[in-house]
Amino acid sequence: MQVLPPRPKPIGLLLLGVFLVAFPFLHEWPFFRMFLSEFRTFNATMFAVWLLVLLGMNLLTGYSGQVSFGHAALVLASAYLTAVLSQQYGFPLWGAIGLSGAATALVGWVTIGIPAVRLRGPYLAIATFGLMLAFPQILKLNVLTQWTQGALGIRGGVVGPPGFLGGVLDGRAWMYYVAMSVAVAMTLLFVNLTRSRTGRAFVALRDSEVGAEQMGVDVPRYKALAFGVSSLYAGIGGGLFFAVQGFVSPDSLGLIDSIFFLVAIVIGGLGSVLGSIVAALFLTFQSEAISALAEFVPGANNLRNVFYGASLIAVIVLFPKGIAGFFQRPLWPKLREWNLGRLWSSRS
Amino acid sequence: MALFLQQLIGGVASGSMFAILALGIVLIYRSTGTLNFAQGQMAMFSMFVAWSAMSTGMGFWPAVLLTLLSALAMGALVEWLIVRRVEGTSDLNSLIVAMGLFLIFDGLALYIWGPLPKSFGPFSFFSGGASCIGGVCIGRLNLGILVVSIVTTALLYLLFQCTRFGLALRATALNRLASRLVGIPVGRMLSTGWGLGTAVGAIAGILAAQSLGLDIRTMFFVVLFALAAAVLGGLDSPVGAVVGGLIIGVVKNLAGTYTPSSVGSIDLAVAFAVIVLVLMVRPNGIFGRPVRMRV
Repeated sequence: MQVLPPRPKPIGLLLLGVFLVAFPFLHEWPFFRMFLSEFRTFNATMFAVWLLVLLGMNLLTGYSGQVSFGHAALVLASAYLTAVLSQQYGFPLWGAIGLSGAATALVGWVTIGIPAVRLRGPYLAIATFGLMLAFPQILKLNVLTQWTQGALGIRGGVVGPPGFLGGVLDGRAWMYYVAMSVAVAMTLLFVNLTRSRTGRAFVALRDSEVGAEQMGVDVPRYKALAFGVSSLYAGIGGGLFFAVQGFVSPDSLGLIDSIFFLVAIVIGGLGSVLGSIVAALFLTFQSEAISALAEFVPGANNLRNVFYGASLIAVIVLFPKGIAGFFQRPLWPKLREWNLGRLWSSRS
Repeated sequence: MALFLQQLIGGVASGSMFAILALGIVLIYRSTGTLNFAQGQMAMFSMFVAWSAMSTGMGFWPAVLLTLLSALAMGALVEWLIVRRVEGTSDLNSLIVAMGLFLIFDGLALYIWGPLPKSFGPFSFFSGGASCIGGVCIGRLNLGILVVSIVTTALLYLLFQCTRFGLALRATALNRLASRLVGIPVGRMLSTGWGLGTAVGAIAGILAAQSLGLDIRTMFFVVLFALAAAVLGGLDSPVGAVVGGLIIGVVKNLAGTYTPSSVGSIDLAVAFAVIVLVLMVRPNGIFGRPVRMRV
């Protein structure tokens, strides 16, 4: 049974809002200049993109208990659709992103979600794993080259702010505002969704499918719906991914990214909005953090995956609610809840 | 027609390699209910162990023996140390742990052996002239792969069907509680299942390296064909894994031969399509048992 996390205080939200609005200009201010640079605006934009993707993945895995190893394929598909629509068919970029998001949601709902209803965990995992490995090859097919440009990928144009903001914002800051507003709006939507009847139905079918059915939850419908909503988030994230990066190729995202999405939400916290935020921070800064670590610990770059794999297992075994679990209640009772017994139990 | 037969034989040979990798996946799935997505990366790790042993001057067969023993120990250790911690919690947890193992073995191999491909085979057993019967030939590499696969499968069959130990393994897979009641050391059986699965995976890895070479990503895609084979045959059926592997190998080869070059390479897409089709039409595979759920 999931206990709803406490609602944040209004003053905290207000401060957060001011911080997010001011962020692209902070690096020009005296105090913040010491540790912020213009590049951080790009980081923050990517954070917004990852937040969308990981909210979607968390809805699927953390709330409704279905696992997907192919989430990066959905993101990649939507990025490609956005690229093709905007670069080859003359759609305006923002329209193309919205359209791709809707199309990805529909595809996720109808072609993955509805068939997935019949599949138990391991089988769904295999299907999504297969999709992830096969998708880059499909994008490289010669028959699709006229749209996808094969292995070369598609390059996007320069995105600038609309005319009346031209003097105030540069392209980078404009992109930040767009991505961050979409991310904030969709996070609020997400919070409301998870507190609604639908959100509680997701959690119920995660905890026990048969139990949920007994309580009157239409299991197939909600399982498919979870996939659809999750794909919507992946799709919007994918469209923005193309807009922010200005480039997409079949190898932009692969299996390892899908696995990193999983690592991120598990470490951040399954079934929690805060967990998705922590996860997006992790995904944004992980490679930079590992590079920084490599200056002190030789070989840290190569050991990265060992570290992430070990963390993944440790979190699942010891504190299944991830980092977000620590923030939602005082630390000490939380520590006692660690499944430390599992460490030395040899029960099978 | 000769081309068709030729491709059929090539497909059977590469399919037999997928079959034993799938066999490893099935053995592990039957023992703890974990779908081991790390199977490919664990096999890759074993291939590097074999390479290291040989680069110290060891002969091929002693190195293979050493690799199999170390894979056996590695698999058992993974079950005992890690998989047992999430035993009986949920499908989701065991899938996440499998992905954790994937990352750990991927990273360990990168750390120990570096990103550069290594030269590994084909060894004398796998190289030489082709043997022909009536215009249809089988290369020495494919013949070697086929022989090793058949011997491996036969040995596993004997182990499971004709020994008391194999009986205990099967009993544990079937009903854990009843097995414990008749005095089978269940925990040890589960570790053994993982060990055997990993060792069989190592054999598949060494076979794969003969044609694909050896680097960290060698098994990255091969494991997809093995998964497709396991799903096709039924995840809990060893016979199914072998049959599934052969079918996948043949289908992959024929699809590769008869797809016009204007389309491009589609082998991974074919494997994916097989997975999706089987799951739609018959989710338990050809030989699998249906699963019932309780609250």
